[in-house]
Amino acid sequence: MQKSIKKITPYLFILPWIIGFLVFTLGPLIFSLIMSFYNWSLTGKPQFVGFGNYIEMFTRDKQFSKSLIISLKYAAVFVPLNMAIALFLAMLIAQPVKHTKIFRTIFYIPSVISGVAVSIIWSWILNSDYGILNYLLSLLGIKGPKWLVDPGYAILAVIIASAFGVGSMMLIFYTDIKGIPSTLYEAASLDGASSFRQFFSITLPLITPTLLFNLITSIISSFQQVTLVMLLTGGGPLKSTYFYGLYTYNNAFKHHKLGYASANAWVMFVIILILTMLVFKTSSSWVFYQSENAKNKKRRKP
Amino acid sequence: MKKKIAISCIALMCASMVLSACASGGNSSESKNGKVKVRFASWDVAEDIDKQQILVDKFNESHDDIEVVLEAYGRDFDTKISAGMGSKDAPDLMYMWNYPAYYEGLEPLDSYIEKEGEDFKKNYYSALWDYNSIEGNIYGMPVGFTTHALFYNKDLFEEAGVDLPGENFTWDDLRATAKTISEKTNAKGFAFQMKPDPYDFEMYLWSNGTAYCDGKGDMKGKIDSEGSQEVFKMFQDMAKEEIAAVTEGNGTDEFRAGQVAMYIYGSWSINSLNEDNMNYGITKLPNFGSKPSVSILSSSGIAMSKDSKNKDAAWEFMKYWTGEEANKARIGLELPVLETVIESEKIMDDSTYAPFYEMLKQSAGYTPASFIQKNWSEVSENLSLSFEEMFNPSTYRDVKETLEQAAQQ
Repeated sequence: MQKSIKKITPYLFILPWIIGFLVFTLGPLIFSLIMSFYNWSLTGKPQFVGFGNYIEMFTRDKQFSKSLIISLKYAAVFVPLNMAIALFLAMLIAQPVKHTKIFRTIFYIPSVISGVAVSIIWSWILNSDYGILNYLLSLLGIKGPKWLVDPGYAILAVIIASAFGVGSMMLIFYTDIKGIPSTLYEAASLDGASSFRQFFSITLPLITPTLLFNLITSIISSFQQVTLVMLLTGGGPLKSTYFYGLYTYNNAFKHHKLGYASANAWVMFVIILILTMLVFKTSSSWVFYQSENAKNKKRRKP
Repeated sequence: MKKKIAISCIALMCASMVLSACASGGNSSESKNGKVKVRFASWDVAEDIDKQQILVDKFNESHDDIEVVLEAYGRDFDTKISAGMGSKDAPDLMYMWNYPAYYEGLEPLDSYIEKEGEDFKKNYYSALWDYNSIEGNIYGMPVGFTTHALFYNKDLFEEAGVDLPGENFTWDDLRATAKTISEKTNAKGFAFQMKPDPYDFEMYLWSNGTAYCDGKGDMKGKIDSEGSQEVFKMFQDMAKEEIAAVTEGNGTDEFRAGQVAMYIYGSWSINSLNEDNMNYGITKLPNFGSKPSVSILSSSGIAMSKDSKNKDAAWEFMKYWTGEEANKARIGLELPVLETVIESEKIMDDSTYAPFYEMLKQSAGYTPASFIQKNWSEVSENLSLSFEEMFNPSTYRDVKETLEQAAQQ
């Protein structure tokens, strides 16, 4: 009896989390999958429509493909840019200079601010008439564009604003870079390798697992982006920033088409799943796992 | 194996306990002290909620058997009401304006109103009932309203040396005035929204003798009619001639900053303009030629969920919330809707508020397209995009072409 209690104990410890997961994550997830086959206008009773919602989405709803393309475009620019900035900042604060702690904090602060506040701050910064960004540009003699009015610039404005939250990714890079043994760098500099060479031949290969992790998480978050566009642009100007997440949200809570919005969400889930799988597939050719290599070598020796 | 079963049993039990606790928590209609509990959802925020809480507390103090709980949904109002109705857990009472979207989840109030006698209904401004009804059934009690009116900055008018808008101020007058002001001061003469809410914008079409659609919801021959084209062309031209600013927001910020001399808006901005001690005036909307202008009505009402378990208690609170005392307490926050209050408080002598009532009087008898079109939220989204195409300075799309395309949708 005592033995069995012992075995149950660990499960009891994680029980609160499991209940939370079942009730607040898995439950709604399955519920939304079921709802995606229904027509549910919220106040009325749901009607079963089979694949009707999916057919509607792929054949008749023009906004579906438009929003999908906008989100893909955003991800294509945002993901590499965000990772490059994060890596650059991480390299900066990893340098052996004084007061890096202060800079580390400064770079991380934007990530602590809530998305709503970030959106409001950026709507002031980007305002075409009295925004500070255009003021700074005017000091350089450049007439700033109407960021949130010109459909050609709005998506760029959203990308700039979202790059503000680069802090947590930077920290992950930073801890990984800090974990690289200094002996490697010493050996390299003795061999006369420049710091550029050191970055590309030591740092970059050794942090590829982190690179993979950050790549996947930022692909996922870029597709789920909704707070920023909802508050900063409202999907405009001229629907140029009508992201897929906003499209789904509006279908659910503005047009009250909950079944249809569930179908939207599941299509997004499948797209993210495929992209993630693709990244994983290719990862074997560019991600370098130190420990694995060490193990393989050990195995080969005897 | 047995252990696994035991574990999953425990997990299930806990889960069901949590769930049942949720269910009973949401639906409990009696609070601990034996009072009937009524939930009331408001969309207001900050100080407005504080003021509402004071009013709610007053009601609770005077009723031994009812306890009203004010729930402040703020920005998430629509999301929460939607989710609440979907899960059959909507608050008993809620603020409401978008009846076409929600009326299926609301309780018709006609029988309750009838019980109160003839005079009860008469005391409310009659134009308001239409905006709180769907297909002849009343779904909400009027709480407040606003029409739209023309706000003008007296200082800028003086600086430019032009006359203040008088009786029968027309759009041609407005354009001439705006031109002079734009030339003689640093400000633009007029401002309008780049992305106006289509619900609001229909008033200009009404004022010029047309509408978005006919009584059956058909847009062809209405939104692309000549009268409609004239309206959009006029706004677009004012922007192109640079006598009007096209604003990203509703224009209040630009007006407060003295960047524009005139703009059209509801009574919502009065408090913030007064805080700034601005020297401004309000007058009726400009006319198209000799036709009297018409304003849209933005009304707020209080509605009852059809799933409410305590409808009589809820009705008791609705009467209080729309009664004289509450109407008086809300002056400054909402324009009163009771004729007796307007008389006793001498609202019509107040030059700030009077134009909104004058607009109300001359705007009776129009039905917004949102009450006609079944799928208004989607129609509205398409219209909004069309308007933006015409008014966004980076496109200024041709009016005729845009409206003809909009009529096809």
